[in-house]
Amino acid sequence: MKKVRIFYSILIIASLVFAIGCTKKRNKLDYGLNIKETLRVNLASEPPTLDWNKATDTTSNTIISNIMDGLTRYNLKDPNLSLKPALATSWKSTDRAKKWTFVLRKGVKWTDGVEFTAQHVIDSWERLLNPKTASGYAYFLYGIKNARTYNNGKLKDFSKVGVRVNEKGELVVDLEAPQSYFPMLLTHSSTFPIRKDLIKKYGDDNWAKPGSLVSLGAYFLKIWEHDKAIVIERNLSYYSKPAHIKNILAYMINESSTAISLFDAGRIDIQNSLPTTELSILKNRKEYQSVSLLSIYYYGFNTKKPPLNNLDVRKAISMSIDRDEVVKLAGGGETPLTSWIPLGMFGYEPKRGIKFNPKEARRLLAKAGFGPKKKFPKLVIGFNTNENHKRIAENIQAQIKRNLGINLELKNEEWKVYLNSLRLHKYDIYRIGWLADFPDPDNFYNLLASYSENNYTNWGNKKFDKLVEAGVSETDRDKRKSIYSQANEILTEKDIPVIPIMSSVKHSLVSERVINYPRNSMNVVLFKEVSLKE
Amino acid sequence: MNLPNLKNYSALVIPVLLIYTFLLSFLNYEVPTALWVLDLSLVLVSFSIYVFQKSMVSYVLRRIRGAIVTIFIISSFVFLMLRVLPGGPFDQEKVLPPEVKANIEAKYNLDAPLHEQFFNYIVGLVQGDLGESYKYLGRDVSDIISESLPASLELGIYSLILAFIIGIPTGVIAASKHNTIIDNVAMFGAIGFVALPNFVVAAFLIVLFVYWIPIFPPGFWEGTSSYILPVIVLGTRPAASIARLTRSSVLDVISSDYIRTARSKGLSDWSILFKHVLKNSLIPVLTFSGPLVAGILSGAFVVEMIFAIPGIGKHFIQSVGNRDYPLILGLTLFYSVLLIVANLIVDLLYSYFDPRIKLK
Repeated sequence: MKKVRIFYSILIIASLVFAIGCTKKRNKLDYGLNIKETLRVNLASEPPTLDWNKATDTTSNTIISNIMDGLTRYNLKDPNLSLKPALATSWKSTDRAKKWTFVLRKGVKWTDGVEFTAQHVIDSWERLLNPKTASGYAYFLYGIKNARTYNNGKLKDFSKVGVRVNEKGELVVDLEAPQSYFPMLLTHSSTFPIRKDLIKKYGDDNWAKPGSLVSLGAYFLKIWEHDKAIVIERNLSYYSKPAHIKNILAYMINESSTAISLFDAGRIDIQNSLPTTELSILKNRKEYQSVSLLSIYYYGFNTKKPPLNNLDVRKAISMSIDRDEVVKLAGGGETPLTSWIPLGMFGYEPKRGIKFNPKEARRLLAKAGFGPKKKFPKLVIGFNTNENHKRIAENIQAQIKRNLGINLELKNEEWKVYLNSLRLHKYDIYRIGWLADFPDPDNFYNLLASYSENNYTNWGNKKFDKLVEAGVSETDRDKRKSIYSQANEILTEKDIPVIPIMSSVKHSLVSERVINYPRNSMNVVLFKEVSLKE
Repeated sequence: MNLPNLKNYSALVIPVLLIYTFLLSFLNYEVPTALWVLDLSLVLVSFSIYVFQKSMVSYVLRRIRGAIVTIFIISSFVFLMLRVLPGGPFDQEKVLPPEVKANIEAKYNLDAPLHEQFFNYIVGLVQGDLGESYKYLGRDVSDIISESLPASLELGIYSLILAFIIGIPTGVIAASKHNTIIDNVAMFGAIGFVALPNFVVAAFLIVLFVYWIPIFPPGFWEGTSSYILPVIVLGTRPAASIARLTRSSVLDVISSDYIRTARSKGLSDWSILFKHVLKNSLIPVLTFSGPLVAGILSGAFVVEMIFAIPGIGKHFIQSVGNRDYPLILGLTLFYSVLLIVANLIVDLLYSYFDPRIKLK
């Protein structure tokens, strides 16, 4: 008995002493970074991957676009988002935009000291298109000759794909068909150069981690604590002007109200995405900033379903919705839309589309045969479960009821179930949106081509398809404008398979100590130009 | 050698060590791995000795056998349910071209026949491989669980300690002062806290202690001051339930014959209450504790969200939204195992609190 007691006592004392000996604080506030040279932002969620060939989401892209560079980049100071040189110093097209030649920058070094070469670009594009990589954005390069057949596995030899280095060390790209916006695609992270040697060394799914991830952008990846935070630090060997701020600490705070509390407590400097219900209060704060995004929030018709197969009915419904009223309800300074291209993009035509006119709408509905004698059938509006979508859907339902006397039913489903229902055409009228991948009208018009997988309307128009194709291959800006104007007319005035509602706005709170926080319609957040007040 | 019986003085070592460990971690000190290992092995050893002493080994083995069958059924059922659920893991707003989708499905073997996928999954499971997440590229499900569990575990343990420390004494006091103002106030408070949802308590505490009297941070999991609010929010509800359970069962025991005998022998009220009544009235609380422990330890989604705690709770919700099949399955299994183990421990402890209960 006594022995046991002694044994235990020794054990306790030994371990207590041992533990006290290691009195190291576990969690350091803000990773022990000096706040004076650290910008703390909220990333809102964990990036699924930092492998730029594989990332498909905006969260991952926010980090990637700060640690990497592409051949081209947007001039964020230009409202038209023109392109400017990055890893490519210049580029030109020949053969009516069917062949592109890029002159690459010399003397660029990766963070491990290796020199950047054209081969790194080719390696990246091979990997992006390789079926084994299974990249969601492989289709970005489908314009390149034979890229699609390589991606679907029919072509095994990558040397047949239209990309090569010429004797002058320039990158030459041959396209399947003319693509006037091709250089714009190279601003996208999926096309950034990559180091195959490292991927081979660390593994295809495992290299994109601190320590093994090598990059060449203004910052490099320093810490990645899953579900908590990422730290990137200034790359002093960056080929261009180095970043102003030394560290970017990106937290992953899912809940926006929590993030706002942390913002108020001075723990984070920037919060994007603010709760709509609190916008009216938050908008009056001096830290509030907003920017209109290149996006369309719209409703689509199932044009096969009677009576929506009747053009007059579709026209009447579109005409009975006052976009200004919806925008007022949304409350964030959104731009009402009746035409297909959002504000801030080449080809924006605010005058186009069906304008609000309840009287004319009623006349059209009567013309279609609906009135006191023939009741309008019960149609269903679908939307994915979300407080904001619900408020807007209810408003649209009420407006149609008020202006046309039609009762529509609302139905919502969880996001992925909803996407499945859209494919099955379960709804008569549905809500959906689109955020630009690149600031070119093709990105929007392509959506509703008859062959597009994103077109759930059951509508197709050969003339419209032809215009979309003509728009891609045309290099003359004025001619493109007129082509897209015709497409816009078909879509929003003649055939009306969709009801454009508005383009969305990004709302942020930006701490007063932050200078030059980027605001642009493509939602590209580059930290290198941002600085902090002393 | 004298075996460490829980009744024995030397068995106090374990609680002392555990309290010390939790205190260290609560005060945000690095707890050496050796200490964790020591704690865990001491608990395990003493618990197995307890099981041997009470000759419950064959019972335990039988329960484990049953658990394996249960887990197999759960995993098969969830596996099939996920395939029935509309919407797949790679559906997104911007629809992928068919060849891109085919490549992705080939990578994750989703193009194989269902029975083959199921077979592969079960084979992996037997080898202890839960697979790789579809959403978070290159991260194993077991890594995601083990990386997000510590924060949830800490939050859970602190909250449980709080719940028991507040709940049991409140229940005992309320019962001993039956039908007095103390009893009424305690039970009114308890019912109130059971009824109040977590997020209301959280919002109230945040307004009070973050905005009005700024003494605590509104979020993160990085030190003692950040632990306090979430622990209170998560701990109060179980504390209230425990208080009500304790009170009613103490009231039952207090009126039994042997307590009257003890009283007539002249024992003091407090000694009767804490030595004789309490131990015998903890059975309902114990029953309640099994699922409670499993529930709280596996992450409290709402509290973790509100306080930006990088725990496991949000994966339970988000993995379903993402249709991240391997992660959903892994978490379901994890939770099942936790629940089964917690219930087994509770069942085994019954005969400690009430020796009349024999498990064979």
